[in-house]
Amino acid sequence: MYNTPGLADDLGPELLARWNQEIQRQYQVILQGNHSLESRFFSLDWNLIEMPTTAEIDWFGNPAEPEFCLSRMVAKQLSDWGAQGRHGVQNEYCEYAVVKALDSAGKLRPKRVQISTELREYWVTLATADPDRTRALASAVLGFDVSWMDLYGVNNPNNLAEEDRRIAFSTVVAGNGQDLTLPKSVPYDPTGRINTDYCLFMSHPINGLDDLIYIVLFGAKPYAQTVNEQRQQATREQIFRKYGVEHLACRHADPAAAMGACGAAYEGRTVAFSDPIGMYIKSFARDKFQIRGNPVPDAWVRFSRGKKPLWQRLEFGPADSDAEFLDDIVVSEAADETPVIGGYQVIANIEVGPLISLSKPVALSDGDYVDLTTSSERIKCSEARVCQRIISLKSLYDMEHPASAPGPRGMR
Amino acid sequence: MPLQEGIYYQSGARPGTAFAVVFLRADPTADSATVGRSLERLWGVYQGLKRGVSRDLPNHLFPSGDLTVLLGFGIKAFGIAGAKRSVPPEALANYGLFRSPLASGGGPLLIGSGLNYADDVKANPATEEIVVQFIANTQLAVRRAVVETWKCLSDSGENPPVLSVSTYFSGFQRDDGRSWIDFHDGVSNLKSSERYAVIGIKPTGDPSTSWTEDGSYMTYVRIHVDLPLWRKLAPDVQSIAVGRSKLTGCPLAGVDSNGSPLSIAGCPSAPSGEIGQDDGFRETPRNPDPTIATSHVQRVNRHRGAVEDPNSLRVFRQGFEFLEPWDRSPGFRAGLNFVGFQDTPERLFQVLTQPGWLGKTNFGGAEQTLPLLKVLAAGIYFVPPDGEHTHFPGQDIFV
Repeated sequence: MYNTPGLADDLGPELLARWNQEIQRQYQVILQGNHSLESRFFSLDWNLIEMPTTAEIDWFGNPAEPEFCLSRMVAKQLSDWGAQGRHGVQNEYCEYAVVKALDSAGKLRPKRVQISTELREYWVTLATADPDRTRALASAVLGFDVSWMDLYGVNNPNNLAEEDRRIAFSTVVAGNGQDLTLPKSVPYDPTGRINTDYCLFMSHPINGLDDLIYIVLFGAKPYAQTVNEQRQQATREQIFRKYGVEHLACRHADPAAAMGACGAAYEGRTVAFSDPIGMYIKSFARDKFQIRGNPVPDAWVRFSRGKKPLWQRLEFGPADSDAEFLDDIVVSEAADETPVIGGYQVIANIEVGPLISLSKPVALSDGDYVDLTTSSERIKCSEARVCQRIISLKSLYDMEHPASAPGPRGMR
Repeated sequence: MPLQEGIYYQSGARPGTAFAVVFLRADPTADSATVGRSLERLWGVYQGLKRGVSRDLPNHLFPSGDLTVLLGFGIKAFGIAGAKRSVPPEALANYGLFRSPLASGGGPLLIGSGLNYADDVKANPATEEIVVQFIANTQLAVRRAVVETWKCLSDSGENPPVLSVSTYFSGFQRDDGRSWIDFHDGVSNLKSSERYAVIGIKPTGDPSTSWTEDGSYMTYVRIHVDLPLWRKLAPDVQSIAVGRSKLTGCPLAGVDSNGSPLSIAGCPSAPSGEIGQDDGFRETPRNPDPTIATSHVQRVNRHRGAVEDPNSLRVFRQGFEFLEPWDRSPGFRAGLNFVGFQDTPERLFQVLTQPGWLGKTNFGGAEQTLPLLKVLAAGIYFVPPDGEHTHFPGQDIFV
């Protein structure tokens, strides 16, 4: 039995059981889709791991795809492009929205960044089973009274059947998460403002629990290659190429999770998600951010949605009552200091990841290894299929921001 | 794979024992074509030195010491009038410079880093347009190369000289696999099979940077190690700070109930053994206890993902010790020439500033802010591939 992500909520036994059923359902859906993923080096039951050790599996939160497809500058542009950018590229299990406010001169400026690593499936489970709790929670997280309309698109979701609540909440707040059990009428991106203008939890379909389980499960085998008649661990290229998912090798999350699991399995260890399963903010280099030459006040770095250190949420920047704005803060990269104009600069300094437990190693037999003969040749990330989509998105961005199309770049 | 020589990434390749870097300053009025011609002349001199030939001793060969020469170009090189290439936007434009020291000396190398300049460093000498790295089997060979550099530049008759030597640093490799703090060093560097994947610049979707592919970025940091301060720490505290046993080099996995360091089981395999003989124990454990997780070796390698992914934050390091006279006690400065090669300098910058890595940490261990290391010079240089040049690597930047 897994507790609530981050130990953030006290759900009671019934709701907690439903959350665990959802975890099991996601796992079964993955296996039904591909039985070959099953691995004796993976357990969904963390209790089965005796005297576990923890594994460092984490990565930076900024999107990799637009960077390897085009450039870092484009990654920043697209990421900071409001809800469109969020649902287009923020797929490293770290999403954000920038809250804006008018300054004294009437100019709309970024006030703070809301960053979340909370799983969509958790919120959908709550919203399906308990609307009152969901509304109270959303209001507490966002800091204002969130209406039923903002959550379900109806005046009283308690009058809806559970399945209708699931559909309504997914439509307005969570998006479809590419969940095949939802009707096709549920859109990919949520239609409401509460998880687009704001960041309540992750809603990009690739940031789902299913993908998280998949990628750890995918890696949790002793993949091997033979070099000079010696068996050694297979490379990232071999593993991802073997299954025709080379494009995933270029992202931050997938290779970190898969290769972390593979390294453990190659040592004869069983891998499990530690309790509580979830995605967490592991570190934030807040010292790189300064305001007028001083450290950013503690009150502007607000971790939440979890018990320390299991944070799933970070609000970074001044409160509404403060005179300052987000772009009064500068981030120091190398010798330069740059105003913080969006969330990309923040999540590029955040590491996220799940909690992973490892068993003690056992000796592997020949039959345990998955011997690969696929090529180790470098995967050309910039030629990945996903880049076509990124290039299209960039074209849309440029049409909306005609002055931002980059020209030749020279010395700064 | 057309990396320049002087990056010892291939299986069995080991650098020579002697090292020098020379920093060349370009006259601000010189244009790129003029600088290119100077570099071409210099490159010719270096090719002669590699064959045991110098301009002042025609037909009198000397031992070359198996000299290797590597050229690198800093962000300022791309600002020379008429430069044919723009500064590589992602890596060098964003990560091409460390912070400058304070005018009064000292100051942080990077905001968020625990490394500071030494208090007598008021200017960073490693920010010139060009760096040349020499590695050879003898100290004479690398020092001769420095002097021959000066000869070539001063013999040009240019007034002012197009290029001039602003400073040089030298170093040496130890044959005991240890560093000045007496611990084993450089023993868990990248496997040879992994090195190129970390070092070589990879293709991106930005065609304007394709000319940098298969080159690399060189990081140079000259670090003074405060040995008097280090020696005040008890040996067990030193071990926990490093993450290895002092005598055997065995990686630590934890501490016992008394706080004493515990090596990984089975290491060393012989009673008098050391890692080096016991290659199976060179690598640090993936899952140490929380105390050891704060050690230096764990902070610089958190065993994350595939090394070719910049997210792994691995860099390929070639280190050379130094010892130089100093007018303060104890009369000398001992330290390390840190030379790293990677596909983007961002890897190193993240290591130096991210919490859990070396962020806000000077070296490692419980005493995170103990100022053991002090920076004397630090620079970032683009190292062009040794590809299709006809005159010198990187000529397409200038002509």
